[in-house]
Amino acid sequence: MFLLAVSVDTDPELLLARVLDGLRFGSGYGALALALVMIYKATGVLNFAQGELALLGIYIAWALSVGWGWPIIIAVILAMFATATLAAGIERTIIRPFDPSNHLPLVIVTLGLFLAINSFVAVTWTTDLKALPSMFPKGNVFAVGVAHLTWSGLGMFITVLVMLGAVTLLLNRTKVGLAFRAVSSNIESAELVGIKVGQTLQFGWALAAAIGTLAGALLVPELQVLDPNVMLSTLVFAFAGAALGGLDSPKGAVIGGILVGLIRNVVVQSVSFIPSELSVGAAVFVILLVLLVKPSGLFGSSKVVRV
Amino acid sequence: MTPRTIVEGSALHRRVQGANWSLWIITIAILPFLVAIPLKPSVFGNSYTIGLGNVNEAIAWAVAVLGLNLLTGFNGQLSLGNSFFVGTGAYLTGGLVQTYHWSYLSTLVVVIPVCLAIGLIVGVPALRIQGLYLALVTFGLAAVFPTIVKLDQLDRFTHGSNGLNIESKLLPADWMPIQGTLEAIRKIPLIGDWTGTDTFSSRQNEAIYAYFLLVMIAAASFLLARNLIKSRPGRALIAIRDNEIGAEVSGINLSLYKAGAFGASALLSGVAGTMLAIDKNFVSPDELGINFAIFLVVGLIVGGSANLKGSLIGGFAVIFVRQWATQTKEVPLIGWELNGPYGQMVLGILLIALMFAMPGGIAYGLTKIRSRIYRVVPADHRGEAPTG
Amino acid sequence: MSEALLHVSDLEAAYGDVKVLHGIDFTVNVGDISVVLGANGAGKTTTLRAICGQVHTSGSIAFNGAEISQEATADIVRRGIAHVPQGRGTFPELTVTDNLEAGAFVRKDPEINADIDKWFEVFPVLGERPDQLAGSLSGGEQQMLAVARAMMSRPRLLLLDEPSLGLAPIIIEDLFGRLAAINADEGMTMLIVEQNANLALAVASHAYVLEAGTIAISGEPEVLSGDEAVRRAYLGY
Ligand SMILES: Nc1ncnc2c1ncn2[C@@H]1O[C@H](COP(=O)(O)OP(=O)(O)OP(=O)(O)O)[C@@H](O)[C@H]1O
Ligand SMILES: [Mg+2]
Repeated sequence: MFLLAVSVDTDPELLLARVLDGLRFGSGYGALALALVMIYKATGVLNFAQGELALLGIYIAWALSVGWGWPIIIAVILAMFATATLAAGIERTIIRPFDPSNHLPLVIVTLGLFLAINSFVAVTWTTDLKALPSMFPKGNVFAVGVAHLTWSGLGMFITVLVMLGAVTLLLNRTKVGLAFRAVSSNIESAELVGIKVGQTLQFGWALAAAIGTLAGALLVPELQVLDPNVMLSTLVFAFAGAALGGLDSPKGAVIGGILVGLIRNVVVQSVSFIPSELSVGAAVFVILLVLLVKPSGLFGSSKVVRV
Repeated sequence: MTPRTIVEGSALHRRVQGANWSLWIITIAILPFLVAIPLKPSVFGNSYTIGLGNVNEAIAWAVAVLGLNLLTGFNGQLSLGNSFFVGTGAYLTGGLVQTYHWSYLSTLVVVIPVCLAIGLIVGVPALRIQGLYLALVTFGLAAVFPTIVKLDQLDRFTHGSNGLNIESKLLPADWMPIQGTLEAIRKIPLIGDWTGTDTFSSRQNEAIYAYFLLVMIAAASFLLARNLIKSRPGRALIAIRDNEIGAEVSGINLSLYKAGAFGASALLSGVAGTMLAIDKNFVSPDELGINFAIFLVVGLIVGGSANLKGSLIGGFAVIFVRQWATQTKEVPLIGWELNGPYGQMVLGILLIALMFAMPGGIAYGLTKIRSRIYRVVPADHRGEAPTG
Repeated sequence: MSEALLHVSDLEAAYGDVKVLHGIDFTVNVGDISVVLGANGAGKTTTLRAICGQVHTSGSIAFNGAEISQEATADIVRRGIAHVPQGRGTFPELTVTDNLEAGAFVRKDPEINADIDKWFEVFPVLGERPDQLAGSLSGGEQQMLAVARAMMSRPRLLLLDEPSLGLAPIIIEDLFGRLAAINADEGMTMLIVEQNANLALAVASHAYVLEAGTIAISGEPEVLSGDEAVRRAYLGY
């Protein structure tokens, strides 16, 4: 009886509109997932504070652009530097003293950071709603009926691909990248070839924070609200994207994030029996199915992960 | 200072154990009367409120953390979604009591099998999905729970995003000697003075009744968990955590035990949900989302993973440290004022500091401190134990 | 005639409260192959880890005249010590070539690629699979990779921890032949920890026996082979 009620919306314009929405938001999730994967690859730890570091960056960008009237792009770049510096400091002072092979205390430390940074933002900038300007021009690249590709949508998508390309090049073509991969593969041996493990991880934290801040600065203007809770739901979708793509694969993170965006906006909206409030549930369900077939995500390597 | 050695099973050991147990029982019996009228201690210019409601909530949390401990601490499956089971228990109790006028305790008849079943169902895919992937999928589960509760189709039962107010109260029966005990406690010097002089209102009586009910449920849960851990299946769970392949080749049925761990964990979590409903007479979707799930993990690790006492400590730590953090309005000694949403910041910093001080959790920290004072050695080492 | 490259004196090391090395002294001369024998748990691995700054120590470790006992591992490696740890310690998720490049991490000269080619020639099994992930190599191949990777840093002293572990006898002989050749061709100084005493003593110029954290016997390999106790405990005849 239930099955009879299923109907799939097939209006092509509506479908296109949803696909474009999915790509737009998915790019943002993918970008944050990329940041998560950088930290996971290096340390095996899920950084719960990743979203909040980005939140801090977004508010800094907001303060510089809306408060001081600086161009938004400059504001975002400065915010990326600021959060990268902060993250490097955090790594040095409160992450490095911990035994890197014992993950549980580290997870709690990132949860502590999550709470502290969130609260810091709320105290500093209040919980009033704000709006972050977009880095991209207003208007549409093209529009077909209800479907329109905005400049910001296109810009986000391209930015995320450029980010992924840059990260991939960095990892595979530079010495820092080699150190990073070596550390994530075998910390002891990395030390034995003369890699400064602490500094490498610090670099990873800084890079991830910058990536996360950029992800937030892309996404928040699309969400049209800025308040201290804005990154929490985004973090959930980014986690989902990272799991879907494979926790240790930068490419997987971006693709996974985009897929999560598409699931949310296309699958859930188009299939009538899924109540739209259950978009999170649908995303989780799809990920569950994928992981059942491929337990380490679409692109992850199947190294046994011990927690 | 060299620790004093106590031989296991000796008269001294029995005395120490007896003293420990008596202290526990007396504390448990007196505690609710001391905090039924909320205490308002003032420390370094900050005033705090500690009431019986907090204690009751902490007891429920202890059971919820215990549920997570079975799964994550003892079996090594990291779950960030146990709030789903807690929420299921809380809403089942709430709905049955409010809509169908069941009594609180009788709802356990439904909560226990339903949560067990959901746990087993979730446990099956978890056989294939491991480590942090499992953590992330279960985190999704935690995120989904509030959206399910808020579904229009369930509104009649859950009252949607407003939360479910349970009007039925838990009334102590007339024969229960609450007032009598109160008077007896007031006769104890020093401690007795804390309880004030007024007779307790009916609300305080209810809270005290709820407290003892919760203590009994919690005691049963901890006893069950302890027996499980010490039994053969319990050792199998631990063996799987420590070395999955090793456990499998020594003949342990992985699917059975891993799904079973999920089932047992969900069962206890559901019971904890019932306990929360008993304590608060109110359940709301937004309290049972990812924040709840995260704080369960915090309780687990701060208390001490794979340690039963740790679950108790963890449950209390989550409630009281949170309370403490939100009520602290001035930094001690420095005198900075904290006006605004500082509570989380204090909490976050405290969590980090705690991990620095006791990375294994409070329970292990306490054991370490205790072992500086005295150390219990098995009886067959008697020859080596220094006398006196 | 020979000058000391590594001079260890009164070295103590502990894991937590448990002391593992109780004050050991030894010297490795330039161009020598020194061998450390000893039972399981005697502290051989700990000795090598101590030299590399991977365990807390007291006492003195002088390398090339400089005191290194308090330096960080990464700095010790830069001074010219390479360590092939017990259990190989390659980077399983990296390709063979990337492993070798990582081995040259401390170098800044332009000859890294030439060196990679050179080691591919010395160990043709590696040259045949430059893009294979190290984790999927066979045990013997991994050991070759571990040695080559260590040599990529152009060290002055090579530490090898049980290179024969888990290898077939014929591979072990091959490996020791190559190590002797590297020693002869490049003048590479080596400190080798081994259980396979026969082979190790055959290439050694000096040998030590470690027992429960102290050096019980030391001397020329011939002296050790002649020692009744050593023969029975390590040589099996
Ligand atoms: N990380 C550690 N923590 C505590 N004790 C350790 C640690 N590593 C080694 N030990 C102890 O130190 C002692 C010496 O160990 P070591 O690894 O140096 O032995 P070994 O001579 O290399 O033995 P094998 O031949 O088995 O490799 C052993 O008793 C071992 O149990
Ligand atoms: Mg060893």
